[in-house]
Amino acid sequence: MNAWLAGATALCAGLVPCAWVCLRARDHFDRLVALEMAAMLVSLAMILLAEEMGRPLFLDLGLALALLSFGGGLVFARFLEGWV
Amino acid sequence: MVAALLFAAVGIALAGAAGVWLMRNPYQRLHYLALPSGFSGLLVTIAVLLHDPQKQAALKVALTALALFAMNAVLTHATARAAWVREHGEWPPKEPPGPP
Repeated sequence: MNAWLAGATALCAGLVPCAWVCLRARDHFDRLVALEMAAMLVSLAMILLAEEMGRPLFLDLGLALALLSFGGGLVFARFLEGWV
Repeated sequence: MVAALLFAAVGIALAGAAGVWLMRNPYQRLHYLALPSGFSGLLVTIAVLLHDPQKQAALKVALTALALFAMNAVLTHATARAAWVREHGEWPPKEPPGPP
């Protein structure tokens, strides 16, 4: 296991506290913040995995997730503001 | 050197995840989003720059880190504002009462 794979594994371990907050928090916005953090961790993990496998093509996945999680977070924030 | 950069990047990101887990309300939790988006993205970009001979890969990672950095600022504000409106019903917040 090299540094890239170890780093990606550790980042995925960071999803556990985010999932805990997503599933257990009382307030909707606590869950939303945890979701945004999870998206960031997965985006970084995808970069590390693509670099570890030597496939630069897969770096686009991390970029796509970073862009889409931004849009998704905004939509959630707007939705939770007044519709739930 | 690359391993040290990755260790720092992942450590900072995990500290952010722990902060999101341990804090008590959304406003406090939102601060911890800045750790991975601000520092980890930059450190991973430098690590890829040093590790990968192809500069195109580093360019993509730099773009991703920039996207995370810039968009996190907007997303954090939008989330905090939405939480405030949901809690208090209006934006902008009223001026606090002056001194007695």
